[in-house]
Amino acid sequence: MNFTFLKRVPLAWLNLTHDRKRFVTSLGGVAFAVLLMFVFTGFMNALYDSQIQLLTKLNGEVIVINRLKNNMFVPASFARRRLYQVRAFEGVADAYPFYISEGAWKNPETGQSFSVRTLAFNLGDPVLSLPAVNEYIAELQLPNAALIDTRVRPEIGPTEAGIVSELADRRIRIVGTFELGTDFASGNGNLVMSDVNFLRYFADRGPEEDTRSFATADLGVVKLKPGATVEKVVAALQQALPADVLVLPRDGPDGFVTRERLYWQENTNIGFVFTLLTTMSFFVGIILVYQILYTDVADHWAEYATLKAMGYSNAYLLGVVLQEAGFLSVLGFLPGFAVSYLLYNAAAAATGLFFQMTSERVVNLFVATFVMCLVSGVVAVRKVQSTDPAEVFGG
Amino acid sequence: MVATISEQNSVSVAKELAIKIEHLNFYFGTGELRKQVLFDISLDLPKGQIVILTGPSGSGKTTLLTLLGALRTLHEGSLQVLGKEIVGLPDKALIPIRRNIGFIFQAHNLFESLSASQNVETSVELTRNIGEKRQLAVDMLGQLGLSDRVDYKPNALSGGQKQRVAIARAMVNRPKIILADEPTAALDKASGRDVVTLMRHFCEEAGTTVLMVTHDNRILDVADRIINLVDGRLESDSDLETQTSRIS
Repeated sequence: MNFTFLKRVPLAWLNLTHDRKRFVTSLGGVAFAVLLMFVFTGFMNALYDSQIQLLTKLNGEVIVINRLKNNMFVPASFARRRLYQVRAFEGVADAYPFYISEGAWKNPETGQSFSVRTLAFNLGDPVLSLPAVNEYIAELQLPNAALIDTRVRPEIGPTEAGIVSELADRRIRIVGTFELGTDFASGNGNLVMSDVNFLRYFADRGPEEDTRSFATADLGVVKLKPGATVEKVVAALQQALPADVLVLPRDGPDGFVTRERLYWQENTNIGFVFTLLTTMSFFVGIILVYQILYTDVADHWAEYATLKAMGYSNAYLLGVVLQEAGFLSVLGFLPGFAVSYLLYNAAAAATGLFFQMTSERVVNLFVATFVMCLVSGVVAVRKVQSTDPAEVFGG
Repeated sequence: MVATISEQNSVSVAKELAIKIEHLNFYFGTGELRKQVLFDISLDLPKGQIVILTGPSGSGKTTLLTLLGALRTLHEGSLQVLGKEIVGLPDKALIPIRRNIGFIFQAHNLFESLSASQNVETSVELTRNIGEKRQLAVDMLGQLGLSDRVDYKPNALSGGQKQRVAIARAMVNRPKIILADEPTAALDKASGRDVVTLMRHFCEEAGTTVLMVTHDNRILDVADRIINLVDGRLESDSDLETQTSRIS
């Protein structure tokens, strides 16, 4: 291995850091571009991630739904007897019905009504992997009892045990809380109750509303036996069951969770708007870094040209400018990332959306930052490359 | 030793030549804007000679200097630098030739961010002699009287000191040819004199050929030979070795 390059005069680093004030300003510029990209991708991902929060909490590897329910917003339910059929299949441990309905919730303080989503299941079935919900099983067995999501929108009013209000024009008592968060299909928030209580509220809400009964379920959550292969069970179920239901694995690229996420990606402008904003931040970053590097090259034009007259090739000069770009991307990314991290926490607290700083997203944005600086470097270096060393001689 | 100019020339030809120019023409621009700036230049520069190139502005002095420095591509005539023909060579092929030539400019063109030693080291690095570069740079600066300024940044040096660092950068690789463009123009009389005396001293020692463009009459006496260029043509070529006493 040849390490001689390590012993070279670190021209790129010294040029970049020579003027401390300018260096700090440059890093601030890069950090700001990084921050913008983090904020915009953060909002986009938060909106998407929020859509699938509930789905990832379903305690089963396979999900059965009405074929018409192509997203959680569609109130199509399917015959519950399909789940009895499912239980007979090899590899299936159990199949739980899950009931969902919209209903008007009265804010106990203002008396105004807002739409909320009610989630219900047989209290004997471990349908949700939400520890908080499972703690309140005994309380939920009382008539007209429900749990409320602490991350509901503020319109819903206070969220604590002991609150008495109205749901679908019936008295309801909150016996505890859990934490989930809102999404597009949840209205202003979520309630959890037993299937028996669910019928009390939604079995017959009057002539203009759908009637509900235990004959239909909104989601079927299928728990597999240990060792069963998800793909095989899904294929067997889909083959054997009538076409009115759709059988999906919960996870994976063709899974229920991904399908929901894709639906919102493909059918809303969220992706377009935020991708546009992120791309704009990316180009703002390119222009910023270009300005920084171009200023360096322009200020040291005669020196760089002298290097060329001495016998340095364009490749060496390209190397110097690209090294500067590399330093800027790494050192600008770190403060940008740190500030974004704090901002994510603040935004999550303020909106109730899920701002997740996953390592994959951090790596992606770092790569974007690096490419951003590299592109600027390549554009800026053209100034040096086109430099005619003969021009250094004052005419 | 007393010799006529013709005898001197024949001796020089017999000796190895650093630069040999024959019927060189050079043009700026293309098409209708094409303008000839050098006309049929023929010139031999033997090794170890210090040559001053004078002439009015616009006479093509600097252009000639850049041609000898392999900084421009050439198409007409013949120009051999250290025995290598560079007329007709593409830009890329000129780069290695430049490494045998030391350049000194009117401005020092030092990187502000690098210390005196590091500026000189950028030159040593071209020779791949990475291990000794610091030592070579420090020695060179020491010989130019800058041993106590080795790690100073250019901003902390005087004009004369900066120019001496630039000279160290040009000479540290012991090039066979040094091309200097008004090296004393930005200096006061004393510093200018110091700088050329040092250059003279080194070139005599190493047998380096120096071609210097200057308007500075105060330093003409360091030259072995003065060439006058007017309107792109060689006007006069006088050898001073026999007429002027040298400054040692």
